[in-house]
Amino acid sequence: MFWGKSRNIVVALEVGSTKVVAAVGEIRPDGTLALLGIGEGPSGQVRKCEIVDFEVAQGCVRDALAEAELKTDVVIAEVYLAISGAHVRSSNSRVSLAINNDGDEITPEHLQELHDMATAQPLPADHAIIHHLLQHYVLDDGSSTDNPVGLASKQLTAHFHQVYGLATRLQTTIRCVKELSIDVKNYALSSYATAQAVLTRNQKQLGAVVINLGGGVSDYIAYQKGAVVYTGVLGVGGDHLTNDVVSGLKIPYAKAEQLKKTEGSVILDPAEEEERVTLPGAYNFEERQIHRVSLNTIMQARQAEIFEIILEDLQNAPFWPDFAGTVYITGGASQVKGLIELAAQIFPCPVELAHQSPFDGDQNYSRRPDLSTLLGLLQYARQAELEVPATKGFARVSQSLRRALASMKLF
Amino acid sequence: MIEFTHDGPFAEKADPLFPGRVRIIGLGQTGTAVCDQLVLRGRPSQDLWVLDSDQQTVEGSIVPNRHLLGQSLVHGLGCSGDIELAREIVAMEEEQLASAGSGCDFLILALGLAGSTGVALAEHLIQMGHKAGAKVIVVGVQPFGFEGLSRREKSIRAIADLRRDADSVLVLSPDRITEDSHAMKDVRTGFHVMHQLLAQAAQALSQIVCKRGLIQLSFADVRSLYGRYSGSEVLENCWVAHVEGDIHDSVEDMVQQLFACPLLSDESIWKHVDHAIVAVNGTCDLGLSDVQQLVGVFKDRLPVNIPIATSASLDEETHEKVRMTVLLAMTGPGVVEKPAVEPQPVKKPRPVSDTVPLPGRPAKLKLEPTATEPAPAKPKMAPAPKAKPAPVPVEKYVPAPVEEEVLLEVESVATPTGPGRKSSGKRFVAKQEEMQFEAPTRGRFEKTHETMYNGENLDQPTFRRRRLAIKL
Repeated sequence: MFWGKSRNIVVALEVGSTKVVAAVGEIRPDGTLALLGIGEGPSGQVRKCEIVDFEVAQGCVRDALAEAELKTDVVIAEVYLAISGAHVRSSNSRVSLAINNDGDEITPEHLQELHDMATAQPLPADHAIIHHLLQHYVLDDGSSTDNPVGLASKQLTAHFHQVYGLATRLQTTIRCVKELSIDVKNYALSSYATAQAVLTRNQKQLGAVVINLGGGVSDYIAYQKGAVVYTGVLGVGGDHLTNDVVSGLKIPYAKAEQLKKTEGSVILDPAEEEERVTLPGAYNFEERQIHRVSLNTIMQARQAEIFEIILEDLQNAPFWPDFAGTVYITGGASQVKGLIELAAQIFPCPVELAHQSPFDGDQNYSRRPDLSTLLGLLQYARQAELEVPATKGFARVSQSLRRALASMKLF
Repeated sequence: MIEFTHDGPFAEKADPLFPGRVRIIGLGQTGTAVCDQLVLRGRPSQDLWVLDSDQQTVEGSIVPNRHLLGQSLVHGLGCSGDIELAREIVAMEEEQLASAGSGCDFLILALGLAGSTGVALAEHLIQMGHKAGAKVIVVGVQPFGFEGLSRREKSIRAIADLRRDADSVLVLSPDRITEDSHAMKDVRTGFHVMHQLLAQAAQALSQIVCKRGLIQLSFADVRSLYGRYSGSEVLENCWVAHVEGDIHDSVEDMVQQLFACPLLSDESIWKHVDHAIVAVNGTCDLGLSDVQQLVGVFKDRLPVNIPIATSASLDEETHEKVRMTVLLAMTGPGVVEKPAVEPQPVKKPRPVSDTVPLPGRPAKLKLEPTATEPAPAKPKMAPAPKAKPAPVPVEKYVPAPVEEEVLLEVESVATPTGPGRKSSGKRFVAKQEEMQFEAPTRGRFEKTHETMYNGENLDQPTFRRRRLAIKL
């Protein structure tokens, strides 16, 4: 094992409904990020991105981190964690401040004061903040800017997009990691992390909606003029497609998952009306013939419903009437056949499959849409690390010692 | 100067978690009679309204909140079946109707489907209700067979139009009660029985969608039975039976009375019925075991094996009383005759300025097209069969003969004893063994909290909620 002062290692961890994945990256001295490797394992007892059985889930996290350590030869002491779940909510808020100094000039202190005011805003009971994302500042004449320092105005208003979730659910996920004596350095909303991996600055400026179709949930985030204007989480994902196939065709879950991936499509083709798919037999499963149209009908109904709900939610948001961007789709469940065609039928705007931005390092994972969130989280971590100096020296040593002691207890 | 604003789901304007304000609106002559029945049955907890263009009907109603429409246009004489005239009245009274369609979470519209004022008002109120965020359920009754071809055609067209826009449409056929000797004693009694049945259906629906009780059903259950059709339209899709008794009465007697209700005493309905909702309402002494016993006996007496969903609620005002209402449903295309008229697009009120005003009507009516808002869970219906150019022959309702294969499956289609029953002489055997108080399993998501959206549980398979046919 090797780690040293010269290496600035960041680790991203996602506890998903289908799998737990941990990515290890290194921030080079020039500020670029290189992916060292990824550890992954199947997720157990996590449904809709919420932990159902703590011990089983913790075991899965431990396995994924251990594999990542093994592959990258890095001791993981702290992670950035992806957060999601149907409990996550968002809202837009604004705070205003009167500028009373000489010449009404806006200073960095004013911006800090606005930020403090925004963070002090009350949340619904039992909720905790996940993000305060600045959208833009508005001056007293109504003009908006991203950096008002040095400008003169009698009033300054800051528009924020805040994301919050149920504190208990957030604590459970964080505790699941912390009890392995690994610090959670920071966390980010999954969709926000995903956007860092698949959107360029220009796309954010033009307007974009990123839909991350995961196993348990479908996250989505909307950008307009470079700022986050809307986020949402729908507690329905690819697992629901599989569950529907199980229920409709009366086959085991594993067979349904395999059938969905290999034969399923969310587009109904009249030519396949009489076509049948053979499910190979196993020692406890007799070979069966499935009507392809039945499989596709089940999947199409569910996937169309997911898109329709997301579209309805977006259409109710204030930004939608002015939205002229593109919908980008990614996530593990985006690999199903016919998905983009179906989405194009539902969304009244261009729809594309999202592509990850190029990154340095291990390129084995560059074409996997199910890792968009993880790789985006690494980018998020890189930005955070460049803004705040990383924990080094004695603090890091003590973390490793604590972890070693905890591992002895666990085993 | 510090200003905080929120537009998130917890803002003040956000909907309450459990909406439950129900408004029942009687439209036209039939709807007015239904609301009168609700008032007669006791102090209704729902917000009752009555709207009609016939002065005699409105003034004769005992509902406090009643409104005469189109006074300046038809002078209180009604529309006499002229749907275009009724739509003009609706356009003229838009302001008054706006208040009727807003301020509630569920709107139950009761009407006769062959009427003109009722249908025109229903079309408008569905749109108003949806705009205000309310779910709209229509409870309608077809005309009697002897009322004539034109009224029957009008009702078929109205059903198709209303089903396209409303969240749920319950259609009852009065021809069923022609088999009941008590109901057919005279015309007045026949109509009275029909109005009572509609009132019972409306009250049961309001209980299901808003009252919280021992066993809770929701609007989603109603919509799943009466709101979606996979492939083809059906006309009659609802059969209602209601019984009231003392909490100390014999359960068997109550259920026997239930089966003696006019619509259930017609044994041919069991060919069509495929789902049932039982709504039990009683005093605070009503326990789960009582509900279980009631539903259990009912299930034992059912001649067919169908899933039963049960709702039980408590009402402090019903002293030692138990009310049991059964809503039977046909959700598939079934064997009922298909509509001869395809759904027509919603007709916009024709601009009066372009036409020669009729005598007695104002010449300058400013009519603006109302924005159409799609229903939140509009079923994706396949187009109904093409309308035949030739007039549809009058079909007097004749109970369909029980087919051999049904007999084999059901063993007996006889109903329990009642004044109008037709017994086959055999004792029927119930197939269903267990009560289904709970929703179907959610499979992999059983341990998680439910994902609800617009009253639908998204953890349940979509194809099942939308009743899509799956070939196995």
